[in-house]
Amino acid sequence: MIELKNVTKRYDPLTAVDNVSFSVKTGECFALLGPNGAGKTTIVKMLLDFTRPSSGSLSINGIPSTDAECRQSIGYLAENHHMPPALSGWQYLLRCAELLGISRSEAADQCRRIVELIGMHGRENTKVGTYSKGMVQRFGLGAALMGDPKLLILDEPTSGLDPIGIREIRQLLESLKDQGMTIFLNSHLLSEVEKICDTAAIINRGKLLVKDTISSIVKDGETLEDLFVRVVKG
Amino acid sequence: METSKSLTPITKITKYTLIDEVQQRSFVIMFVFCAICVFLVRGCYQGNYMVNGQALDTGTIVRTLSKATFHIIGTGVMVIASLLSMRIFRRDRNEGMQSCILSKPIARWQYVMGKILGLWVVSTLFMFILHSIVFLITSINLKVIMPEYLVASLLCSINLLFVVIAVLLLSLLMPDIVAFLSVLGVGVVGFVADGIAAASHSQIAQAMLQQSTASPQSDVTWWRVVYFLWPKLLGVQQLASSLIESESSHGFGPAYPLINVLAYCLILGVLLFNRFRDEDTV
Repeated sequence: MIELKNVTKRYDPLTAVDNVSFSVKTGECFALLGPNGAGKTTIVKMLLDFTRPSSGSLSINGIPSTDAECRQSIGYLAENHHMPPALSGWQYLLRCAELLGISRSEAADQCRRIVELIGMHGRENTKVGTYSKGMVQRFGLGAALMGDPKLLILDEPTSGLDPIGIREIRQLLESLKDQGMTIFLNSHLLSEVEKICDTAAIINRGKLLVKDTISSIVKDGETLEDLFVRVVKG
Repeated sequence: METSKSLTPITKITKYTLIDEVQQRSFVIMFVFCAICVFLVRGCYQGNYMVNGQALDTGTIVRTLSKATFHIIGTGVMVIASLLSMRIFRRDRNEGMQSCILSKPIARWQYVMGKILGLWVVSTLFMFILHSIVFLITSINLKVIMPEYLVASLLCSINLLFVVIAVLLLSLLMPDIVAFLSVLGVGVVGFVADGIAAASHSQIAQAMLQQSTASPQSDVTWWRVVYFLWPKLLGVQQLASSLIESESSHGFGPAYPLINVLAYCLILGVLLFNRFRDEDTV
């Protein structure tokens, strides 16, 4: 479903992503791991064509990431998600639905369902300016789920959430995975990643260090965190 | 079918831009302030004006004052349009709307087109409403109905399109405030140059130029080229305001300023689309 071929991104003099190649299969729950500044968010931004690679190519479902058509069935949640403070959560979700070309009546139905799903019932009509960071994050996840996407790209989805919120999001992602949705996850919460994801890749300083199924790269008696530290510290 | 598919997201982004601008408190304050100022012009129409000892008739007063107000509103709204445009990309980025829109199957050119149209429509409406206040004052209080005033307002909106595109393009290349000041500078230089050109056509200036032999003709040629090519914002306003004149006036006048500004819109628009296509968004 996702394919990166020899992708390099330079912000002179820094090389944020250095000749990275990997693929994510349909229905897979994939985690991209790495320390701060490793190049994870840059890869996500290139997948969504927010920034273009210096060399190499990225594609989703065989369509180049530079083609808007490839974003037809993608849900995206940004790290530190923001929403216009003058809108209410409901209005924001409606806008997302409209931008996807969903009809008004169907959009309202979807918004209602999503508000329930993200646990924001009763708060959807208040202004975004009054929301906490965790609430904004939940609405961001709701917006990503709009239109029943086939691929979900989540950049630190649990950022700003309390432990209960983190657990709820994890349970939600598990149910989405069970429904066959492909999930591309950027996260620092390795314990959560270990519980949800099938495969993982670790990058550091823009270079891909490991990419395989979690069960095959984590040795007996080791956690994903141990592996992460071992691989990153070399 | 393909065209309507492309137009749908543009229409939506245009609508959101319009709604977001109108909901801004600063926009509302600016609009109310401008509307009050225009409304206060009402008093000017009620004065007695004498030229060479002869009182001017109502029709002349109304047309002269309306033309002056037309130019003031036209120029003022150009400044407001640049203020609205200068931070639109930054605000969209900071408030997450840019990532929300561009993560959907919406091409970058559609996003930029939606932004241009939204800002153009909102600033045109702003100007049209202010001009409509003048139109209503003259129609209701003075019984002088000038529908051409409103047509002139719409024609003048070409200037707003230029301002919106120019500021959006420059805001991608330099800090927002510098982009605003640069476009303001282009406008001021154009207005001053047009003023000097108009003055140079006076009989006194012509006589002075004929007497002066100090500067050879070839020295001023490149100035003339620059003047000719400079955005003719005042020219468009004058072309539009010529509609307000009585029927015996020169009508639309020369269309060059309109072609000039439209050509600039086209060139700057292409540059804006190209720049945004390669821009690191979000």
